[in-house]
Amino acid sequence: MIDEQARLLSNREVAADFYLARLNAPHIAVRVEPGQFVNIQVGAGVAPLLRVPLSVSGVDREAGIIEVLYEEVGPKTRALSQFGPDAVLPTLGPLGKGFVSPPEGTRVVLVGGGIGVPPLLYWGLALRQRAHQTVLLVGARTANKHLPSELLAPAADAVHLATDDGSLGHAGLVTDLLRHELAEEGPCAVYCCGPHAMMQAVAAICLEAQVPCQVSLEEYMACGIGICVGCAVELATAKGDTDYGRYARVCVDGPAFDARQIKWGSTWPT
Amino acid sequence: MGQHMADLSIDFAGVRLRNPVLLASGTCNYGQELLPLTDFARLGGLVTKTITPQPRGGNPPQRIVETPAGMLNSIGLQNPGLEAFVEKQWPLLAGLDAQVVVNIAGFSVEEFGQMAASLEALAGIAALEVNISCPNVEAGGDNFATRPQTAAAAIASVRSRTQRPVIAKLTPNVTDIAEIARAVVDAGADAVSLINTLVGMAIDMERRRPVLGGITGGLSGPAIKPVALAMVWKVAQAVAVPVMGIGGITTASDVLEFMVAGASAVQVGTASFVNPNAGVEIVENLRAYCDEWGMDRIASLIGSLRC
Repeated sequence: MIDEQARLLSNREVAADFYLARLNAPHIAVRVEPGQFVNIQVGAGVAPLLRVPLSVSGVDREAGIIEVLYEEVGPKTRALSQFGPDAVLPTLGPLGKGFVSPPEGTRVVLVGGGIGVPPLLYWGLALRQRAHQTVLLVGARTANKHLPSELLAPAADAVHLATDDGSLGHAGLVTDLLRHELAEEGPCAVYCCGPHAMMQAVAAICLEAQVPCQVSLEEYMACGIGICVGCAVELATAKGDTDYGRYARVCVDGPAFDARQIKWGSTWPT
Repeated sequence: MGQHMADLSIDFAGVRLRNPVLLASGTCNYGQELLPLTDFARLGGLVTKTITPQPRGGNPPQRIVETPAGMLNSIGLQNPGLEAFVEKQWPLLAGLDAQVVVNIAGFSVEEFGQMAASLEALAGIAALEVNISCPNVEAGGDNFATRPQTAAAAIASVRSRTQRPVIAKLTPNVTDIAEIARAVVDAGADAVSLINTLVGMAIDMERRRPVLGGITGGLSGPAIKPVALAMVWKVAQAVAVPVMGIGGITTASDVLEFMVAGASAVQVGTASFVNPNAGVEIVENLRAYCDEWGMDRIASLIGSLRC
């Protein structure tokens, strides 16, 4: 883990309010694993105050480059979207625990919703390199909130899209597509990142189908390194042998969790 | 350049500090996470996250939200409890080349004293900082720090069970912080630290709900610095013991302002969430300031405000 002075190489809008930033961060690039994230400073320590935590969506280790995909949703991501090439942004990483690999030969279903897709892109590419058959299912509100196909395609052997309004792909929820995939024969593992309600639904479907499922959680964060204890997630099974039995810290205990560990409950906005 | 080397050391209530910058309670956990990112040996010290007698799970999420030039937190004193702290967290802290202040809290007057007594045999604790901002279960849930009598009772309970320096951490959420400061000093506190966070709130208008799971939270960060500075100045006038200044400190210049206002040392808190090496960088800049101004001893600044 290092606080690296990352140099922005490019920062372009790739879908409605979705940006792809490429950063020269060689120390992070050689270490970061799929599912891990970085915490990027976009202000001078007053406003915006806190850093922006973003999943790494792609890596070029040899070139020392990491990629992050983000949606402009508030002051911090707006500030980030304003930076142009050569801006130097203090970037802390790699942070957190990434995805745990499936058994060799397992077919993998990646399920993404909205801006939850980025960690699945890096993971999908890594899985394909390990000869896993992968399919990527992506849900979004409407067509222009889908990432362009050239960003999605490398992550899977097949990509299927859904939109709430039917403007692109399946008209309906991404969970409809998941049910269809799970009907196929053979061992399978699911990895999911998206809005909480979607992850909760995916977790329930996988539990019923007895398919292992890992989710990559998002929770409001300050430090990203475990010192503020702010990004708490309630666990389904409080473990007596841990210091923080009831709540885990998304930033250091996750962001990737086995879906069965999570208490999918009422405290989250839907 | 180089011909001058300012003395940054401070004697704080009998604790020798290398320099006046400590990391604040609740912003460095128990040290471990910051090990790869900062050098404790270059800090004045650190204050642990609050320890309570029993483990605490803490408050439901959402626990954090950024506000203008600051942030609200509603962590709820999540901590492993005294026993696990001594067994699991303390060995690492004891091995640090740094002054370690242990922050303690209880939910009754007796619990405060028990916490102090339980830690008395643990060699290497520089001082106890007493978090009196938690609810008093004996007195219906009002927090200890908000009334002089309950604040004094909690501090007296600690005082009677420890030989170590006792630092009372004061809340700004009171009518007159100087009155509380006088009460805890009369009860035996060797020093006071202030300010804890200011009570604040954020509302999500789309859902018309509080943003934080705890509904209200504690405001910290640069936004509260002017409030903290005024309270440090006021308390420094009111009591004869050393004052530890806390509240929105982000730069070396902030540290100097707190010292001029009457603080003998300071704690850096929220700044560490933005930059995990903030404390050390502030110390470096502090040294540069002193050298630039030809100051021999930083301690000579304490309470030197002209007004």
